[in-house]
Amino acid sequence: MAKIPRRAAAAGALLLALALVLTACGTPAGSRGAADYRLSAGTPRPKGEISGFSWALYAEPPVLDYLYAFDYPQNTVLANVCESLMRWTPGLTTEPGLARKASNPDPKTWVYDLRAGVKFHGGGELTADDAVYSLRRHLDPKLGSYWNEDFANVASIDKTGPLQVTVRLKRPDALFPQAMANSAGTVASSRSIKAQGRKFGTADGGLDCTGPFELGRWNRGQSLRLDRFDGYWGRRAKAGHVTFTFLPDSSARTNALLTGEVDGTFGVPPESLARLRSSDSGTLSFGEGLTTVNLNVASLKGTLKDVRVRRALLLALDREGFARAAMRGSATPTSAPAPRAAWRGIPRGITDRAYRQLPTVKRDLETARKLIRQAGAEGKKLTVATSPIGPDVSLLALAVQDAGTRIGLNVELKTIAPDAFTALFSDAKAREGLDLFPYTYYLSITDPLGIYTNFRTGQFENYAHFSDPEYDRVEARASATYDPVKRGRITAQLQKLALDKAICLPVAEYPNAVFQSRRITGAPTTVSYLYYPWAADVGARG
Amino acid sequence: MLRFLLRRLTELVLTLLAASFLVYGSVFLAPGKPETFLLGGRGANPEALAAIRAQYHLDEPFAVQYAKWLGSALTGDFGQSVQYRSDVLGLVGARLPGTLVLIAMAATLVIVVGLVLGWVGAVRGGALDSAVLVGTSVAVATPSFVAAIVLLAVFSVQLGWFPTLGSGAGPLDMLYHLTLPSIALALPFVGVLARVTRAAMLEQLGREHVAVARSRGIPERTVIRRHVLRNALGTVVTQGGLTLSGLVICTILVESAFGLGGLGEFLARSVTVKDYPVVQAVSLLVVGLFVLVNLVIDLVHPWLDPRVALGTRSAA
Repeated sequence: MAKIPRRAAAAGALLLALALVLTACGTPAGSRGAADYRLSAGTPRPKGEISGFSWALYAEPPVLDYLYAFDYPQNTVLANVCESLMRWTPGLTTEPGLARKASNPDPKTWVYDLRAGVKFHGGGELTADDAVYSLRRHLDPKLGSYWNEDFANVASIDKTGPLQVTVRLKRPDALFPQAMANSAGTVASSRSIKAQGRKFGTADGGLDCTGPFELGRWNRGQSLRLDRFDGYWGRRAKAGHVTFTFLPDSSARTNALLTGEVDGTFGVPPESLARLRSSDSGTLSFGEGLTTVNLNVASLKGTLKDVRVRRALLLALDREGFARAAMRGSATPTSAPAPRAAWRGIPRGITDRAYRQLPTVKRDLETARKLIRQAGAEGKKLTVATSPIGPDVSLLALAVQDAGTRIGLNVELKTIAPDAFTALFSDAKAREGLDLFPYTYYLSITDPLGIYTNFRTGQFENYAHFSDPEYDRVEARASATYDPVKRGRITAQLQKLALDKAICLPVAEYPNAVFQSRRITGAPTTVSYLYYPWAADVGARG
Repeated sequence: MLRFLLRRLTELVLTLLAASFLVYGSVFLAPGKPETFLLGGRGANPEALAAIRAQYHLDEPFAVQYAKWLGSALTGDFGQSVQYRSDVLGLVGARLPGTLVLIAMAATLVIVVGLVLGWVGAVRGGALDSAVLVGTSVAVATPSFVAAIVLLAVFSVQLGWFPTLGSGAGPLDMLYHLTLPSIALALPFVGVLARVTRAAMLEQLGREHVAVARSRGIPERTVIRRHVLRNALGTVVTQGGLTLSGLVICTILVESAFGLGGLGEFLARSVTVKDYPVVQAVSLLVVGLFVLVNLVIDLVHPWLDPRVALGTRSAA
């Protein structure tokens, strides 16, 4: 399962602006916060086919090999070209994909029965060999798959029939079958991967997959075209082709949308929301995202050692103000690091109970000051990372400084260059001397556990080296539970533990925003577009 | 002449060598590691990390890495881009034409419009000169990215005369697509060149030889052309060379505002993710361009003004 430090954001000044932008978060409509947007389940169905449409991306996908597809631009494209064993739906649930059936004869075994007669773009037919070869690539350390963590519990991947693949796990892993719906479960033609070698998925090579669109002309630095694949096994795409245009500059993107030169985009920049909303060039819609912005604890050795200081900071932080300022009202302040939409697969009652247990979002400076006094932390120094990488990062750092100052902490901001900011997510050295850093994070599966596993002892993204035997025990129980209802209950316990210990300071959820020109409609509004062949649903509006 | 060229070419090679070393060193010393990017910022087991480091020679000392890069570069192999996982030459080659055409169009605008404005201001004087002064002050003070925003808002979004993005397909379409970007790029430089031209011509106009020429009854047009312009050109050409170098740098901002996907934008992104091979190749290209432009100026100079010896560049 995938969670991600927003590499996009970290990618640099040009990209920044957009970075924030791309995110999203969704709270069910009508819940807390004075957000000026409403979430919709989808956009109106198209009335018919269209010869083609164009779509803006904030960056060129560097490569389209699914092993490295772990960021918005590449996944937005790849979701339409390559398919996985399972499929994420616009409603953020999971259904069969290239596997017509997934079965689980025992907790450590997953058997995938593939669809018969599925054609690759190159003309070959899908077999178990392709699936085994595609999945095993994640296990090869030389290839450095971005999805290797999802395979951490995999013992073996084997062909057990002409159209059957069996995965054996070292221990039960509830997140593994869910990851088979994102890029971790992608199947490409093994023959083409072998034939193309290092060129697989690059502009020089190509892709041989099974999706509703196949890779067309890749005009490096400018655009990439997908053409409808006539041999597709599923529902035929409504558009003959899609042209993706790479527009790193957010105002360049907005201009292109306003003039109708580009038909649509996901992740509209906050600064452009007002212009696009009032424009008659198209329609802006919002849907559930799985993105939250949090403050990550970088070290439990300094001032944040005492849980009372962490709680006090959370109480003192003006989360409502941040949500208004950073996303122009298109965000919701939150008390949980996992977005509410991630609980989709779990019965409503359990989710509601879990959320009732959360501390309030309301600012309470008095209690916060009391906690700081009790902890004897008055005047102590707190170092927070900030970066000119984008307004969400710098605004959040300022909000922490404001909160800390009001409750008697001495908050120091440490400015980190945009290019060095990503290193915070993977390099312990880069985090030295820091107590907190802003952290935007999205889930690639619909499960809150995807975030809470991070705080297990020894996990890579457990940056503060938090370690608590009870937390680890509950986490292990949740991870080993396949039944969503039971897992939901345990995850609720885990969420409460995480919040009681204030291991991570949740700030806001971002919705997903999609813009479509007057010509087209049909794109999903949720963040499902990262792994769902969304472009096949887009057609003519009138 | 031949010896001069030989000397300058040796200088060019040495400059490129020094630049490559400096760029390589600075990327090496900058914070962050390319393997972080290669692993997608995600948790990597030590085995994967070691494999990646070995694959890209990241585990070797700086001197060895640089020597390896230099060795391959000399054979024309500029390596593989870390982020795109493909050949650097192909990646650079795909983005080069758009950027070169953009620079060429902007340079043409700068030279033609800058010279004409400077000339008119200096020769005509009066209200026209004041207008040139005000206009060029505004132009000089308008950075390309601001000009880009204004031009886009007016001519693309409002009036719909020009496209807002892309560099077009085919020569004519390319000229059309690059019109606004080249104006935005050229604007501040037009201002600078016009002012330099004006000042240089005014200086010449006040010189004794001009007064003498006029007193001899030589027609004013000939005086301006033979005595004023010719002598002023030295300064103007030198300034023009500097301008061209500046244009190269400014393409970064203009390319991103107009979504052109050119080399400047490519360089900026490559720096942020520490894509060594790309940064090296693009930097060397830019440095090479600088040096070549300077070489051309030095060659043109004595031809414009025979009093200047080859390679000295002092304006008479």
